[in-house]
Amino acid sequence: MSPKTETAPESLALRVLRAGMPLLLLAVLLLLPLGDIGANRTKVLFLTFVWICASVAWNILGGFAGQASFGFAVFYGLGAYTSAVAINGGINPYLTYALAAAVATLASLFIGLPTFRLRGPYFAIATIGVSEAVRVIMTNLGFTGGASGYRITEHVPFRQTEHYYTGLALAALAVAASILIRRSRFGLGLRAIRDDQEAAADSGVNPYASKLAAHAVAAALTGVAGGVYARYAAFISPDGVFAFQRSVSILLMPIIGGVNTIWGPVLGGGVYGVVEEELSARFPEFHLLLYGVLVILIILFEPGGLMGLLGRLRRLILRRRVGAWQPS
Amino acid sequence: MTFTDYLNLLISAVLLAGTYAAVAVGMTVIYGVMKIVNLAHAGFLMLGAYFVYEVHERAGLHPLLGVALAFPAFYLLGMAVHWALGRGIPVSDEPTLASLLLMFGLWLVLQNLGYLVWGTSDRAILTPMTFATLRYGEITIPKIGLVVFVSAVVSLVALEFVLHKTWFGRSVRALIQNRYACRIVGVHVQRTARMTFGLGIAFAGTAGGLLALLFPFSPDFGRPFLLRSFVIIVLGGLESFSGVFLGALILALVETFSILAIPSSYQPAISFSLLVVALIVLPGGVAGILARKRRLA
Repeated sequence: MSPKTETAPESLALRVLRAGMPLLLLAVLLLLPLGDIGANRTKVLFLTFVWICASVAWNILGGFAGQASFGFAVFYGLGAYTSAVAINGGINPYLTYALAAAVATLASLFIGLPTFRLRGPYFAIATIGVSEAVRVIMTNLGFTGGASGYRITEHVPFRQTEHYYTGLALAALAVAASILIRRSRFGLGLRAIRDDQEAAADSGVNPYASKLAAHAVAAALTGVAGGVYARYAAFISPDGVFAFQRSVSILLMPIIGGVNTIWGPVLGGGVYGVVEEELSARFPEFHLLLYGVLVILIILFEPGGLMGLLGRLRRLILRRRVGAWQPS
Repeated sequence: MTFTDYLNLLISAVLLAGTYAAVAVGMTVIYGVMKIVNLAHAGFLMLGAYFVYEVHERAGLHPLLGVALAFPAFYLLGMAVHWALGRGIPVSDEPTLASLLLMFGLWLVLQNLGYLVWGTSDRAILTPMTFATLRYGEITIPKIGLVVFVSAVVSLVALEFVLHKTWFGRSVRALIQNRYACRIVGVHVQRTARMTFGLGIAFAGTAGGLLALLFPFSPDFGRPFLLRSFVIIVLGGLESFSGVFLGALILALVETFSILAIPSSYQPAISFSLLVVALIVLPGGVAGILARKRRLA
């Protein structure tokens, strides 16, 4: 009996496990509110879902297409404010999320049309500028209350489980979009742009249009995330949703989890969401310090992030098992 | 507005430009040689401010002496950082995302170390000079602004001298032009890169100290100046040192005179909008346009 036939069913089991695990996770998360997990834990999970959505969205542009942006707070904030204003205007909350997506997409085109003429780091730098400019404008904008923030008043009772499921659906939607893009021709084009823009252009990919499209999809998802968050929080301010810190968080999650993968940003968002809630209240500086150190270590030693680390661990275990086969 | 009002605005713009140039030059040096967009620049500006503050408060030294001390201290610090992160910041031909993110991580670390050590409250360095002014009839010049301007110009002139009259400076300029040719003629690329990184950080620390004389500061102090440095470098054409002066002057003039047209609460948006416009319209910077004109003529 050769080792190959022996390992084949195992790899099938692994494949089933890998395909089944996300579904299992989804099922567990769907059933979780039925058991009494407490308001606080529900809140942490809800916020984590919102983070995961933004993280996965960032990865579509920053990971798949390799265009790191420091300006995703713009979409998050615009989504939040759009939903907030629309909900106060009496529109169904779920419809306002579509509005938030539309506004964020428009903003992404407005930002992308000029800045995607720039490459790599210049695009990243330009997004810092855009993000700061938008924050300053929103701080001074009269009808949204300017720096003092904006309050949402809904005349329906607050139901946390509804928010929980909205958040879960949002995160699932983002992951689904990410998987679909990854497997599509469009996603292949983005990867080609990431690897070599000239070569991609030569083989028939339009880098400019593809980047714009990826930016738009990412912005729409981030905008909805902002809207969902705003409805939950019921109070938003430019210093919260438009903060540079918000852009930084959205960028950190996929990098920590593993950029340019499907599950890396989910993992990163999950870790970030939970750690943020546990740590940031008690040690706000320490928690960002930790992320800074993590980013440095990841860039220096494991550019694949947590996913890369897991892959390394798996290979180590598999090799040991193969090694056990060899002596016989 | 009278003529003297305009003149006063012009003077404050020029004084501001000197400081801005000192802030941006450290970033330019590092970008020129290593093609690294040093986001951690903001963190080192902040550290420089606190360095001068601590030297002034604890050792009782004059803040300007502290600024002078910051230069060698931050030079060594920069070399140490380059040594520690060496494998992540190679000398490359074009800016990489990895080095950008690495520097961003470093900035996060520095900024939050700042919060841990000094807390969130604003500090300021006050000397008898702080509120003093020189008056010539209708024209007033803030004394501290003048002192900072002169220090900035002195350090920039010293840098020009080093770049043009020493072997280190020649190898720096050669590295900016062509890395491979440098190796062929025997420039030690790694060592020059390390010294350049040290030099860039030294300028960041010194500039931070100078800024601390003008403005109150907190651990988040560097961020607006980081963005202004981008504007200046982009306006100045990313790799030229004389361009830095020009970029700083343009930014300072726009910021100062925009008060006449735009409400001051929108003022922070100006430099950032200018950054985006400059990145898109002037990829070679103002100096690049001049160079192109020269080539055509």
